[in-house]
Amino acid sequence: MMTSRHCVLLTALACACAATIETAIAHPHVWVTMKTEIVYAPDGSVKAVRHAWQFDDMFSAFATQGLDAKRKGEFTRQELAPLAQVNVDSLKEYDYFTFAKANGEKVLFIEPVDYYLDYDPKKTVLTLHFTLPFKNPVVAKQLRIDVYDQTWFVDFGFVRKTPVTLVGAPVACKLSVAGPAQMDSSLTLRLNQLPADAQLDPSQFLGDQFANKIAVKCP
Amino acid sequence: MTAFVLVAVAITCLAIMTEHALAQGSPFGGPHPGGPATLPATGIAGWILAKQSEFYRQFSGLIRAAKSDGSAAWSLMGLSFLYGIFHAAGPGHGKAVISSYLVANGETWRRGVALSFATALLQAIVAVAVVGIAAAALNLTASRMNTAVNAIESVSYALIVAIGLRLMWVKGRAFKATLRCAREPASEGGAAVTYHCHHVHHYDDHHAHSHAADRRCEHAHSHHGHECDDASAWSHAHAPEPTELAGPGGWQRGLSAIVAVGLRPCSGAILVLVFALAQGLFWVGVGSTFMMGLGTFLTVAAIATIAVGASAWAKHMATARSGFGMLAMRGVEVAAALLITAFGMLLLGGYMASERMIGF
Repeated sequence: MMTSRHCVLLTALACACAATIETAIAHPHVWVTMKTEIVYAPDGSVKAVRHAWQFDDMFSAFATQGLDAKRKGEFTRQELAPLAQVNVDSLKEYDYFTFAKANGEKVLFIEPVDYYLDYDPKKTVLTLHFTLPFKNPVVAKQLRIDVYDQTWFVDFGFVRKTPVTLVGAPVACKLSVAGPAQMDSSLTLRLNQLPADAQLDPSQFLGDQFANKIAVKCP
Repeated sequence: MTAFVLVAVAITCLAIMTEHALAQGSPFGGPHPGGPATLPATGIAGWILAKQSEFYRQFSGLIRAAKSDGSAAWSLMGLSFLYGIFHAAGPGHGKAVISSYLVANGETWRRGVALSFATALLQAIVAVAVVGIAAAALNLTASRMNTAVNAIESVSYALIVAIGLRLMWVKGRAFKATLRCAREPASEGGAAVTYHCHHVHHYDDHHAHSHAADRRCEHAHSHHGHECDDASAWSHAHAPEPTELAGPGGWQRGLSAIVAVGLRPCSGAILVLVFALAQGLFWVGVGSTFMMGLGTFLTVAAIATIAVGASAWAKHMATARSGFGMLAMRGVEVAAALLITAFGMLLLGGYMASERMIGF
């Protein structure tokens, strides 16, 4: 006879089973081409990350659907202001897809400032501008900023030409930028070599695969 | 009692999941929850994912080109079809739910194919209807449209849970009845076959049937128990009667599953439709959506056929062994019903990123 313990076990099993069957990820539905500035204070401390994210045309059409505009097919910054507000509000839960470490320690951001949306009527695309201030500006010998969506719903990529700029940084600081690593054989190998019972932290791998990595080294 | 416990567990599970779901919104403002992080796809899965992306990325360019060049529209149709085939292999197109449903109900592959077709068609129709009404006719904003889609989604997932629970109830009873029968050896040499436990059918709309059979068995049990037949009689009782396969009753049976799974529009289709609308080529978007549906149908039907084949094979093996075999088959049906419930709950709770629907 089935006891309640059996039932709990069965339900848990079914849930686990269902989750396993359908863990395949969907392809991205939003593409972001980004340009980033890292802003320094006069004392040489890092104080903010300034993003400009250009969305793909299909998503831009979706986002601007039904919005009032004085001139058809064009949207002013004012007309897009409510949308920009919704954008930054909802990005909060995702930590703005921006993960920073200064001298090996996690950096906290406060709520974004100076945010607005621009519309390019020629390319019919939206660009979201926002600045993420550091909670505590820090003098960093090693600064690392990763931008990615680990669920890969949003596909982030740097713009080809000067993707990252340092604003007001000490002259000796060196910037390096790298896009997401391709899913190469070395990562597959690493995954395959893990023991079967290994505690997997998916972000550890996804971070590598999807992350757009910015590194700044200052002496 | 067992059923009560199961329902209680299900509700608790659901409550926990819903709470989790409420804690997360979507990146640019849509209310839909995101799913858990998953490992990057490798091998075949990775290739399928890459193909989808590749096709999807070409849609906007082709729709633009279709404004001045008719042949671009045909390329778009072909690409949409291919996209549908690959895309249905990803999450959120009901293949798992449909497959489990077919196994739980012991359906034929023909019904599986028909069911896949109907759900894919309904999915396309819903996508066109949502964009056609909300965006084209009412000129609603994306966020309003998202709210509508999310409401539809929730209804769809709740229906899947309902179907799962209902099947669990029916199949659970059948399982119990079989269990009881299996415990009672045919003490009089199996001569008395007046009441067959095999009357406990596996068709979900034969609720009353199972009720009756169950009672009969209990009744038999209280007397001597010798009237419960062993499983050998079940094998021929299993062959579906023609009336159950055709006719209005047959369609009604699958209707709940078609609606539950087909109600949820594909977010890719919605994005394509809205983009086509913005470009003044809504009908091109509609054509693309139906071609995606056709591709989706092929993939889901193929997977459903495999599921039905595997289940039929298991049944064949099970009937070869009497007694335990029938119990095992009932067990498989209960498990499939349980799986449907689990799918529904995970989807409803946002634990399983079916396919995120997002926007502003």
